[in-house]
Amino acid sequence: MPDDLRRWAAERAPELLARAEAEAVEELKRALLDAATSAGRTQAVIDVRSPTAKAPAPRRSARRAPIRPERTSRKPAPAGDAVWTYCVLRAPGEIPDAPHGVHPDGGVEAVQHDSLVALVSRVPLAEFGEDALHRNLNDLEWLERVARAHEAVLDAALGAATIVPLPMCTIWESEEGVRRMLVSERAEIAEALDRLDGRQEWGVKLVVDPAALRTAARARSDEAAALEEELEARGGGGGGYMVRRRLERHLREVADALAEELAEDVHARLQDWATDAVTSPPQNRELSGHEGEMLLNGAYLVETDRVERMHELVAELANRHRDLGARLELTGPWPPYNFVQRSSAAVP
Amino acid sequence: MAEERYLPTQRSGAFRPSPLPGRPEQTNLADILERVLDKGIVIAGDIQINLLDIELLTIKLRLLIASVERAKEMGINWWEGDTSLQSLQPENGDDRRLERENRELRERLDRLERQLGVGEEEPAAREDDGDEREPDAQREPEDAGERPARSAPTEEPDA
Repeated sequence: MPDDLRRWAAERAPELLARAEAEAVEELKRALLDAATSAGRTQAVIDVRSPTAKAPAPRRSARRAPIRPERTSRKPAPAGDAVWTYCVLRAPGEIPDAPHGVHPDGGVEAVQHDSLVALVSRVPLAEFGEDALHRNLNDLEWLERVARAHEAVLDAALGAATIVPLPMCTIWESEEGVRRMLVSERAEIAEALDRLDGRQEWGVKLVVDPAALRTAARARSDEAAALEEELEARGGGGGGYMVRRRLERHLREVADALAEELAEDVHARLQDWATDAVTSPPQNRELSGHEGEMLLNGAYLVETDRVERMHELVAELANRHRDLGARLELTGPWPPYNFVQRSSAAVP
Repeated sequence: MAEERYLPTQRSGAFRPSPLPGRPEQTNLADILERVLDKGIVIAGDIQINLLDIELLTIKLRLLIASVERAKEMGINWWEGDTSLQSLQPENGDDRRLERENRELRERLDRLERQLGVGEEEPAAREDDGDEREPDAQREPEDAGERPARSAPTEEPDA
Protein backbone atom coordinates (compact mmCIF):
# COMPACT_ATOMS: atom_id res chain seq x y z
CA MET A 1 0.00 0.00 0.00
CA PRO A 2 2.78 2.52 0.74
CA ASP A 3 4.09 1.68 -2.72
CA ASP A 4 0.71 2.37 -4.18
CA LEU A 5 0.56 5.66 -2.42
CA ARG A 6 3.99 6.66 -3.58
CA ARG A 7 3.14 5.77 -7.14
CA TRP A 8 -0.09 7.62 -6.87
CA ALA A 9 1.65 10.69 -5.51
CA ALA A 10 4.24 10.58 -8.27
CA GLU A 11 1.56 10.30 -10.89
CA ARG A 12 -0.50 12.97 -9.39
CA ALA A 13 2.06 15.66 -8.76
CA PRO A 14 2.44 16.89 -12.35
CA GLU A 15 -1.28 16.95 -12.77
CA LEU A 16 -1.80 18.94 -9.64
CA LEU A 17 0.79 21.41 -10.79
CA ALA A 18 -0.77 21.73 -14.20
CA ARG A 19 -4.17 22.12 -12.68
CA ALA A 20 -3.02 24.76 -10.25
CA GLU A 21 -1.34 26.64 -13.04
CA ALA A 22 -4.35 26.46 -15.30
CA GLU A 23 -6.62 27.58 -12.50
CA ALA A 24 -4.41 30.49 -11.66
CA VAL A 25 -4.40 31.62 -15.27
CA GLU A 26 -8.14 31.31 -15.42
CA GLU A 27 -8.68 33.24 -12.23
CA LEU A 28 -6.50 35.99 -13.51
CA LYS A 29 -8.34 36.09 -16.80
CA ARG A 30 -11.67 36.18 -15.10
CA ALA A 31 -10.60 39.03 -12.87
CA LEU A 32 -9.32 41.00 -15.84
CA LEU A 33 -12.44 40.27 -17.76
CA ASP A 34 -14.70 41.33 -14.91
CA ALA A 35 -12.85 44.57 -14.58
CA ALA A 36 -12.98 45.20 -18.29
CA THR A 37 -16.62 44.27 -18.54
CA SER A 38 -17.81 46.42 -15.70
CA ALA A 39 -15.82 49.32 -17.08
CA GLY A 40 -17.41 48.88 -20.47
CA ARG A 41 -20.94 47.95 -19.59
CA THR A 42 -22.11 51.19 -18.04
CA GLN A 43 -21.06 53.10 -21.07
CA ALA A 44 -22.64 50.59 -23.39
CA VAL A 45 -25.97 50.71 -21.59
CA ILE A 46 -26.09 54.45 -21.80
CA ASP A 47 -25.29 54.33 -25.45
CA VAL A 48 -27.77 51.66 -26.31
CA ARG A 49 -30.71 53.03 -24.45
CA SER A 50 -30.39 56.67 -25.31
CA PRO A 51 -29.13 56.69 -28.84
CA THR A 52 -30.57 60.10 -29.55
CA ALA A 53 -29.10 63.49 -28.84
CA LYS A 54 -29.73 63.23 -25.11
CA ALA A 55 -26.88 60.81 -24.60
CA PRO A 56 -23.92 62.54 -23.05
CA ALA A 57 -20.79 62.60 -25.09
CA PRO A 58 -18.67 59.64 -24.06
CA ARG A 59 -16.16 60.76 -21.52
CA ARG A 60 -12.64 60.29 -22.68
CA SER A 61 -11.55 59.54 -19.18
CA ALA A 62 -13.94 56.62 -18.90
CA ARG A 63 -12.31 54.85 -21.76
CA ARG A 64 -9.40 52.56 -21.57
CA ALA A 65 -6.30 54.18 -22.80
CA PRO A 66 -5.64 53.30 -26.40
CA ILE A 67 -2.89 50.76 -26.64
CA ARG A 68 -1.48 52.34 -29.72
CA PRO A 69 -0.43 55.94 -29.43
CA GLU A 70 -2.53 58.60 -31.14
CA ARG A 71 -1.37 59.18 -34.63
CA THR A 72 0.64 62.35 -34.62
CA SER A 73 0.26 63.36 -38.23
CA ARG A 74 -3.40 63.09 -38.96
CA LYS A 75 -4.17 64.36 -42.40
CA PRO A 76 -6.57 67.27 -42.51
CA ALA A 77 -10.12 66.14 -43.21
CA PRO A 78 -10.76 66.25 -46.94
CA ALA A 79 -13.29 68.75 -48.16
CA GLY A 80 -16.12 67.89 -50.50
CA ASP A 81 -18.66 65.14 -50.84
CA ALA A 82 -18.84 61.46 -51.61
CA VAL A 83 -21.79 59.31 -52.64
CA TRP A 84 -23.25 56.77 -50.25
CA THR A 85 -25.25 53.91 -51.81
CA TYR A 86 -28.21 52.24 -50.12
CA CYS A 87 -29.57 49.74 -52.59
CA VAL A 88 -30.26 48.98 -56.22
CA LEU A 89 -33.65 48.56 -57.86
CA ARG A 90 -35.15 48.50 -61.33
CA ALA A 91 -35.55 51.74 -63.23
CA PRO A 92 -37.37 54.07 -63.09
CA GLY A 93 -37.22 53.52 -59.33
CA GLU A 94 -39.36 55.68 -57.16
CA ILE A 95 -37.45 57.78 -54.62
CA PRO A 96 -38.71 56.60 -51.27
CA ASP A 97 -40.32 58.85 -48.76
CA ALA A 98 -37.56 58.61 -46.16
CA PRO A 99 -37.15 61.38 -43.60
CA HIS A 100 -33.49 61.84 -44.48
CA GLY A 101 -30.42 59.89 -45.49
CA VAL A 102 -27.43 58.85 -43.42
CA HIS A 103 -26.41 62.50 -43.18
CA PRO A 104 -29.03 65.14 -42.36
CA ASP A 105 -27.94 67.40 -45.22
CA GLY A 106 -28.16 64.81 -47.97
CA GLY A 107 -31.55 63.65 -49.17
CA VAL A 108 -32.09 60.42 -51.04
CA GLU A 109 -31.48 60.61 -54.78
CA ALA A 110 -31.52 58.18 -57.67
CA VAL A 111 -28.62 57.41 -60.00
CA GLN A 112 -29.68 55.51 -63.08
CA HIS A 113 -27.83 53.48 -65.64
CA ASP A 114 -29.79 51.51 -68.19
CA SER A 115 -32.35 49.41 -66.42
CA LEU A 116 -31.01 49.83 -62.89
CA VAL A 117 -31.24 52.59 -60.32
CA ALA A 118 -29.11 53.07 -57.22
CA LEU A 119 -30.52 55.04 -54.32
CA VAL A 120 -27.80 57.32 -52.98
CA SER A 121 -27.08 60.29 -50.70
CA ARG A 122 -24.31 62.84 -50.80
CA VAL A 123 -22.20 62.64 -47.68
CA PRO A 124 -19.39 64.96 -46.54
CA LEU A 125 -15.91 63.45 -46.74
CA ALA A 126 -15.12 65.15 -43.45
CA GLU A 127 -17.36 62.57 -41.82
CA PHE A 128 -17.37 59.74 -44.35
CA GLY A 129 -13.84 59.85 -45.74
CA GLU A 130 -11.52 56.98 -44.94
CA ASP A 131 -9.88 58.46 -41.87
CA ALA A 132 -13.13 59.76 -40.49
CA LEU A 133 -14.81 56.41 -41.01
CA HIS A 134 -12.13 54.67 -39.00
CA ARG A 135 -12.97 56.82 -36.05
CA ASN A 136 -16.70 56.91 -36.55
CA LEU A 137 -17.19 53.20 -36.98
CA ASN A 138 -15.72 52.76 -33.52
CA ASP A 139 -18.16 55.26 -32.07
CA LEU A 140 -21.26 53.36 -31.14
CA GLU A 141 -23.50 56.39 -31.18
CA TRP A 142 -22.43 57.25 -34.71
CA LEU A 143 -22.63 53.66 -35.85
CA GLU A 144 -26.13 53.22 -34.51
CA ARG A 145 -27.43 56.48 -35.94
CA VAL A 146 -26.02 55.82 -39.40
CA ALA A 147 -27.01 52.13 -39.45
CA ARG A 148 -30.56 53.02 -38.50
CA ALA A 149 -30.75 55.79 -41.07
CA HIS A 150 -29.40 53.48 -43.78
CA GLU A 151 -31.91 50.84 -42.87
CA ALA A 152 -34.77 53.35 -42.72
CA VAL A 153 -34.15 54.32 -46.34
CA LEU A 154 -34.17 50.64 -47.32
CA ASP A 155 -37.41 50.09 -45.41
CA ALA A 156 -39.03 52.96 -47.23
CA ALA A 157 -37.82 51.68 -50.60
CA LEU A 158 -38.95 48.17 -49.76
CA GLY A 159 -42.55 49.32 -49.54
CA ALA A 160 -42.56 50.29 -53.21
CA ALA A 161 -40.18 47.98 -55.05
CA THR A 162 -37.99 44.91 -55.04
CA ILE A 163 -34.54 45.98 -53.85
CA VAL A 164 -31.03 44.59 -53.59
CA PRO A 165 -29.57 46.05 -50.40
CA LEU A 166 -25.92 47.08 -50.11
CA PRO A 167 -23.94 46.96 -46.86
CA MET A 168 -23.48 50.25 -45.10
CA CYS A 169 -20.37 52.22 -46.04
CA THR A 170 -20.46 51.35 -49.72
CA ILE A 171 -19.23 54.78 -50.79
CA TRP A 172 -18.13 56.30 -54.11
CA GLU A 173 -16.20 59.43 -54.98
CA SER A 174 -18.83 60.52 -57.47
CA GLU A 175 -21.97 59.43 -59.25
CA GLU A 176 -19.69 58.18 -61.97
CA GLY A 177 -18.44 55.49 -59.61
CA VAL A 178 -22.00 54.45 -58.87
CA ARG A 179 -22.72 54.11 -62.59
CA ARG A 180 -19.61 52.01 -63.07
CA MET A 181 -20.83 49.75 -60.31
CA LEU A 182 -24.25 49.43 -61.96
CA VAL A 183 -22.47 48.27 -65.11
CA SER A 184 -20.00 45.88 -63.52
CA GLU A 185 -22.50 44.27 -61.15
CA ARG A 186 -25.44 44.30 -63.51
CA ALA A 187 -25.77 40.57 -64.04
CA GLU A 188 -25.59 39.73 -60.38
CA ILE A 189 -28.03 42.46 -59.37
CA ALA A 190 -30.51 41.53 -62.09
CA GLU A 191 -30.40 37.91 -61.03
CA ALA A 192 -31.02 38.89 -57.41
CA LEU A 193 -33.94 41.17 -58.32
CA ASP A 194 -35.61 38.36 -60.27
CA ARG A 195 -35.18 35.97 -57.41
CA LEU A 196 -36.53 38.41 -54.83
CA ASP A 197 -39.62 39.53 -56.74
CA GLY A 198 -42.82 38.82 -54.84
CA ARG A 199 -40.95 37.57 -51.79
CA GLN A 200 -40.17 38.97 -48.36
CA GLU A 201 -37.47 38.36 -45.79
CA TRP A 202 -38.76 37.61 -42.30
CA GLY A 203 -36.71 36.94 -39.21
CA VAL A 204 -37.56 34.35 -36.58
CA LYS A 205 -35.70 34.05 -33.32
CA LEU A 206 -36.19 31.30 -30.80
CA VAL A 207 -35.42 32.11 -27.19
CA VAL A 208 -35.77 29.70 -24.28
CA ASP A 209 -35.80 30.12 -20.55
CA PRO A 210 -32.82 28.06 -19.31
CA ALA A 211 -34.56 27.25 -16.02
CA ALA A 212 -37.60 25.84 -17.81
CA LEU A 213 -35.35 23.86 -20.09
CA ARG A 214 -33.51 22.40 -17.12
CA THR A 215 -36.75 21.48 -15.43
CA ALA A 216 -37.88 19.75 -18.58
CA ALA A 217 -34.55 17.92 -18.81
CA ARG A 218 -34.91 16.69 -15.23
CA ALA A 219 -38.45 15.52 -15.84
CA ARG A 220 -37.50 13.59 -18.96
CA SER A 221 -34.45 11.77 -17.73
CA ASP A 222 -34.54 8.52 -15.76
CA GLU A 223 -30.84 8.79 -15.16
CA ALA A 224 -31.30 12.15 -13.49
CA ALA A 225 -33.90 10.64 -11.18
CA ALA A 226 -31.57 7.76 -10.32
CA LEU A 227 -28.68 10.10 -9.64
CA GLU A 228 -30.86 12.25 -7.43
CA GLU A 229 -31.89 9.23 -5.42
CA GLU A 230 -28.28 8.20 -5.03
CA LEU A 231 -27.39 11.69 -3.96
CA GLU A 232 -30.06 11.67 -1.31
CA ALA A 233 -28.92 8.28 -0.02
CA ARG A 234 -25.31 9.42 0.31
CA GLY A 235 -25.92 12.65 2.12
CA GLY A 236 -23.23 15.29 2.14
CA GLY A 237 -20.01 13.24 1.94
CA GLY A 238 -17.31 13.23 -0.69
CA GLY A 239 -19.05 10.57 -2.73
CA GLY A 240 -22.05 12.85 -2.81
CA TYR A 241 -19.88 15.46 -4.34
CA MET A 242 -19.03 13.19 -7.25
CA VAL A 243 -22.64 12.21 -7.76
CA ARG A 244 -23.72 15.81 -7.78
CA ARG A 245 -21.11 16.55 -10.40
CA ARG A 246 -22.40 13.73 -12.57
CA LEU A 247 -25.97 14.91 -12.11
CA GLU A 248 -25.07 18.45 -13.11
CA ARG A 249 -23.23 17.29 -16.18
CA HIS A 250 -25.99 14.92 -17.15
CA LEU A 251 -28.68 17.58 -16.81
CA ARG A 252 -26.66 19.96 -18.92
CA GLU A 253 -26.27 17.36 -21.63
CA VAL A 254 -29.96 16.54 -21.67
CA ALA A 255 -30.89 20.23 -21.70
CA ASP A 256 -28.47 20.89 -24.57
CA ALA A 257 -29.94 18.02 -26.54
CA LEU A 258 -33.46 19.28 -25.91
CA ALA A 259 -32.44 22.76 -27.04
CA GLU A 260 -30.90 21.43 -30.20
CA GLU A 261 -33.93 19.33 -31.02
CA LEU A 262 -36.19 22.30 -30.41
CA ALA A 263 -34.20 24.64 -32.63
CA GLU A 264 -34.04 22.04 -35.38
CA ASP A 265 -37.78 21.41 -35.23
CA VAL A 266 -38.67 25.10 -35.43
CA HIS A 267 -36.19 25.79 -38.21
CA ALA A 268 -37.26 22.74 -40.22
CA ARG A 269 -40.93 23.66 -40.08
CA LEU A 270 -40.27 27.24 -41.15
CA GLN A 271 -37.86 26.14 -43.84
CA ASP A 272 -40.59 23.99 -45.34
CA TRP A 273 -42.70 27.08 -45.67
CA ALA A 274 -40.03 29.34 -47.01
CA THR A 275 -38.47 29.62 -50.44
CA ASP A 276 -35.07 29.95 -48.82
CA ALA A 277 -33.70 30.01 -45.29
CA VAL A 278 -30.52 31.20 -43.61
CA THR A 279 -29.41 30.97 -40.00
CA SER A 280 -27.10 33.44 -38.29
CA PRO A 281 -25.23 33.15 -34.98
CA PRO A 282 -27.30 33.91 -31.90
CA GLN A 283 -27.29 37.60 -31.12
CA ASN A 284 -25.42 39.31 -28.38
CA ARG A 285 -27.70 39.84 -25.45
CA GLU A 286 -26.22 43.23 -24.64
CA LEU A 287 -27.32 44.45 -28.01
CA SER A 288 -30.57 42.66 -28.59
CA GLY A 289 -31.85 42.89 -25.01
CA HIS A 290 -33.39 39.43 -25.14
CA GLU A 291 -33.91 37.46 -21.99
CA GLY A 292 -33.11 33.78 -21.91
CA GLU A 293 -30.98 31.88 -24.34
CA MET A 294 -31.23 32.41 -28.08
CA LEU A 295 -31.26 29.05 -29.83
CA LEU A 296 -32.16 30.09 -33.32
CA ASN A 297 -31.64 33.27 -35.29
CA GLY A 298 -33.11 32.52 -38.68
CA ALA A 299 -34.09 34.48 -41.76
CA TYR A 300 -36.68 33.16 -44.17
CA LEU A 301 -37.53 34.25 -47.67
CA VAL A 302 -41.27 33.82 -48.05
CA GLU A 303 -43.69 34.30 -50.92
CA THR A 304 -45.62 37.45 -50.10
CA ASP A 305 -48.97 35.68 -50.32
CA ARG A 306 -47.82 33.02 -47.85
CA VAL A 307 -46.65 35.45 -45.20
CA GLU A 308 -49.93 35.39 -43.33
CA ARG A 309 -49.83 31.61 -43.08
CA MET A 310 -46.27 31.84 -41.83
CA HIS A 311 -47.43 34.07 -38.98
CA GLU A 312 -49.90 31.40 -38.00
CA LEU A 313 -47.24 28.75 -38.16
CA VAL A 314 -44.97 30.73 -35.85
CA ALA A 315 -47.78 31.13 -33.34
CA GLU A 316 -48.47 27.41 -33.54
CA LEU A 317 -44.82 26.51 -32.95
CA ALA A 318 -44.61 28.89 -30.01
CA ASN A 319 -47.64 27.20 -28.50
CA ARG A 320 -46.33 23.72 -29.03
CA HIS A 321 -43.06 24.41 -27.25
CA ARG A 322 -44.39 26.56 -24.47
CA ASP A 323 -43.52 23.97 -21.81
CA LEU A 324 -39.84 24.48 -22.58
CA GLY A 325 -40.16 28.17 -21.93
CA ALA A 326 -39.77 28.82 -25.65
CA ARG A 327 -40.62 32.15 -27.19
CA LEU A 328 -40.60 32.95 -30.88
CA GLU A 329 -40.02 36.42 -32.18
CA LEU A 330 -41.11 37.19 -35.70
CA THR A 331 -39.90 40.36 -37.40
CA GLY A 332 -40.21 41.67 -40.91
CA PRO A 333 -40.43 42.31 -43.68
CA TRP A 334 -36.74 43.15 -43.87
CA PRO A 335 -34.61 44.37 -46.73
CA PRO A 336 -33.56 40.98 -48.10
CA TYR A 337 -30.00 41.17 -46.81
CA ASN A 338 -29.85 37.47 -46.07
CA PHE A 339 -30.80 36.45 -49.58
CA VAL A 340 -28.41 38.24 -51.86
CA GLN A 341 -25.06 36.74 -52.65
CA ARG A 342 -21.90 38.28 -51.43
CA SER A 343 -19.87 39.25 -54.44
CA SER A 344 -16.75 37.15 -54.17
CA ALA A 345 -14.77 39.26 -56.60
CA ALA A 346 -15.37 42.44 -54.64
CA VAL A 347 -14.30 41.27 -51.23
CA PRO A 348 -10.90 42.84 -50.62
CA MET B 1 -37.14 47.15 -22.63
CA ALA B 2 -36.94 43.67 -24.03
CA GLU B 3 -40.57 42.73 -24.03
CA GLU B 4 -41.85 45.33 -26.42
CA ARG B 5 -39.61 43.89 -29.07
CA TYR B 6 -41.27 40.55 -28.91
CA LEU B 7 -44.20 40.55 -31.16
CA PRO B 8 -47.24 38.99 -29.66
CA THR B 9 -47.42 36.10 -32.04
CA GLN B 10 -51.04 35.51 -31.13
CA ARG B 11 -51.74 38.69 -33.03
CA SER B 12 -50.52 37.11 -36.20
CA GLY B 13 -54.04 36.27 -37.27
CA ALA B 14 -54.70 39.99 -37.34
CA PHE B 15 -51.82 40.61 -39.71
CA ARG B 16 -52.27 43.98 -41.33
CA PRO B 17 -50.86 44.66 -44.77
CA SER B 18 -49.43 48.03 -43.69
CA PRO B 19 -45.93 48.76 -44.99
CA LEU B 20 -44.03 47.18 -42.12
CA PRO B 21 -46.53 45.30 -40.05
CA GLY B 22 -44.09 43.15 -38.14
CA ARG B 23 -41.67 45.81 -37.11
CA PRO B 24 -41.86 47.33 -33.68
CA GLU B 25 -41.29 51.04 -33.40
CA GLN B 26 -37.72 50.84 -32.30
CA THR B 27 -36.14 47.97 -34.17
CA ASN B 28 -33.58 45.91 -32.32
CA LEU B 29 -30.12 47.29 -33.12
CA ALA B 30 -28.69 43.77 -33.29
CA ASP B 31 -31.12 42.92 -36.08
CA ILE B 32 -30.02 45.96 -38.03
CA LEU B 33 -26.27 45.66 -37.51
CA GLU B 34 -26.14 41.98 -38.30
CA ARG B 35 -27.66 42.84 -41.66
CA VAL B 36 -26.15 46.14 -42.70
CA LEU B 37 -22.63 45.30 -41.53
CA ASP B 38 -22.42 41.72 -42.56
CA LYS B 39 -24.68 41.04 -45.49
CA GLY B 40 -25.83 42.27 -48.86
CA ILE B 41 -23.90 42.32 -52.10
CA VAL B 42 -20.48 43.46 -51.04
CA ILE B 43 -18.97 45.80 -53.59
CA ALA B 44 -15.71 47.58 -52.97
CA GLY B 45 -16.54 51.25 -53.29
CA ASP B 46 -14.09 54.08 -53.94
CA ILE B 47 -13.68 54.81 -50.26
CA GLN B 48 -11.64 51.92 -48.99
CA ILE B 49 -11.73 51.30 -45.34
CA ASN B 50 -8.18 50.64 -44.27
CA LEU B 51 -8.05 47.77 -41.88
CA LEU B 52 -4.63 48.31 -40.45
CA ASP B 53 -4.64 51.75 -39.00
CA ILE B 54 -7.40 51.84 -36.46
CA GLU B 55 -7.21 53.26 -33.00
CA LEU B 56 -8.18 51.00 -30.19
CA LEU B 57 -10.81 53.30 -28.90
CA THR B 58 -12.97 51.44 -26.50
CA ILE B 59 -14.07 48.03 -25.43
CA LYS B 60 -17.72 48.81 -25.43
CA LEU B 61 -18.37 47.80 -29.00
CA ARG B 62 -17.33 44.27 -28.26
CA LEU B 63 -20.73 43.92 -26.70
CA LEU B 64 -22.44 45.08 -29.77
CA ILE B 65 -21.02 43.51 -32.83
CA ALA B 66 -22.16 40.04 -33.64
CA SER B 67 -20.63 40.08 -37.08
CA VAL B 68 -17.01 39.83 -36.19
CA GLU B 69 -15.72 39.03 -39.64
CA ARG B 70 -17.40 41.94 -41.31
CA ALA B 71 -16.46 44.26 -38.50
CA LYS B 72 -12.83 43.30 -39.04
CA GLU B 73 -13.12 43.96 -42.74
CA MET B 74 -14.44 47.39 -41.98
CA GLY B 75 -11.63 48.08 -39.58
CA ILE B 76 -13.52 47.67 -36.34
CA ASN B 77 -10.96 45.65 -34.49
CA TRP B 78 -10.47 47.31 -31.13
CA TRP B 79 -10.61 44.00 -29.32
CA GLU B 80 -7.46 42.69 -30.92
CA GLY B 81 -4.39 43.18 -28.82
CA ASP B 82 -6.46 43.74 -25.72
CA THR B 83 -5.44 40.68 -23.79
CA SER B 84 -8.19 40.95 -21.22
CA LEU B 85 -10.69 40.53 -24.04
CA GLN B 86 -9.08 37.66 -25.84
CA SER B 87 -11.38 35.12 -24.33
CA LEU B 88 -14.32 36.95 -25.86
CA GLN B 89 -13.16 36.31 -29.34
CA PRO B 90 -15.31 33.63 -30.85
CA GLU B 91 -12.45 31.53 -32.11
CA ASN B 92 -9.87 31.85 -29.48
CA GLY B 93 -8.00 28.61 -29.79
CA ASP B 94 -5.72 29.11 -26.82
CA ASP B 95 -8.49 29.75 -24.40
CA ARG B 96 -10.56 26.86 -25.60
CA ARG B 97 -7.55 24.61 -25.47
CA LEU B 98 -6.75 25.67 -21.95
CA GLU B 99 -10.30 25.00 -20.84
CA ARG B 100 -10.33 21.62 -22.48
CA GLU B 101 -7.01 20.67 -20.98
CA ASN B 102 -8.16 21.79 -17.61
CA ARG B 103 -11.30 19.74 -17.88
CA GLU B 104 -9.45 16.67 -19.08
CA LEU B 105 -6.96 16.93 -16.26
CA ARG B 106 -9.70 17.21 -13.69
CA GLU B 107 -11.45 14.20 -15.14
CA ARG B 108 -8.27 12.18 -15.02
CA LEU B 109 -7.73 13.24 -11.46
CA ASP B 110 -11.25 12.20 -10.52
CA ARG B 111 -10.72 8.84 -12.16
CA LEU B 112 -7.44 8.28 -10.36
CA GLU B 113 -8.95 9.16 -7.04
CA ARG B 114 -11.81 6.82 -7.64
CA GLN B 115 -9.50 3.98 -8.64
CA LEU B 116 -7.35 4.43 -5.60
CA GLY B 117 -10.28 4.98 -3.29
CA VAL B 118 -8.69 8.09 -1.86
CA GLY B 119 -11.28 10.52 -3.13
CA GLU B 120 -12.73 10.83 0.34
CA GLU B 121 -9.55 12.25 1.81
CA GLU B 122 -9.99 15.86 0.97
CA PRO B 123 -13.40 16.24 -0.51
CA ALA B 124 -14.63 18.74 2.03
CA ALA B 125 -12.05 21.32 1.07
CA ARG B 126 -12.54 20.78 -2.63
CA GLU B 127 -16.25 20.83 -2.34
CA ASP B 128 -16.30 24.18 -0.61
CA ASP B 129 -13.78 25.47 -3.00
CA GLY B 130 -15.81 24.37 -5.95
CA ASP B 131 -18.99 25.83 -4.64
CA GLU B 132 -17.41 29.15 -4.03
CA ARG B 133 -16.11 29.48 -7.51
CA GLU B 134 -19.09 28.11 -9.35
CA PRO B 135 -22.27 28.98 -7.56
CA ASP B 136 -25.47 28.16 -9.38
CA ALA B 137 -26.25 31.82 -9.70
CA GLN B 138 -23.40 32.21 -12.12
CA ARG B 139 -24.59 29.30 -14.08
CA GLU B 140 -27.07 31.38 -16.04
CA PRO B 141 -24.35 33.35 -17.68
CA GLU B 142 -25.13 36.85 -18.80
CA ASP B 143 -22.81 36.68 -21.71
CA ALA B 144 -24.47 33.99 -23.72
CA GLY B 145 -24.21 36.09 -26.81
CA GLU B 146 -20.50 35.61 -27.00
CA ARG B 147 -20.66 31.94 -27.59
CA PRO B 148 -22.83 29.56 -29.50
CA ALA B 149 -26.06 29.33 -27.60
CA ARG B 150 -26.12 25.61 -27.39
CA SER B 151 -22.68 24.88 -26.08
CA ALA B 152 -21.98 24.40 -22.42
CA PRO B 153 -20.89 27.54 -20.59
CA THR B 154 -17.28 28.02 -21.51
CA GLU B 155 -16.17 29.65 -18.31
CA GLU B 156 -17.09 26.67 -16.37
CA PRO B 157 -15.11 23.63 -17.26
CA ASP B 158 -16.38 20.41 -15.84
CA ALA B 159 -14.31 19.40 -12.94
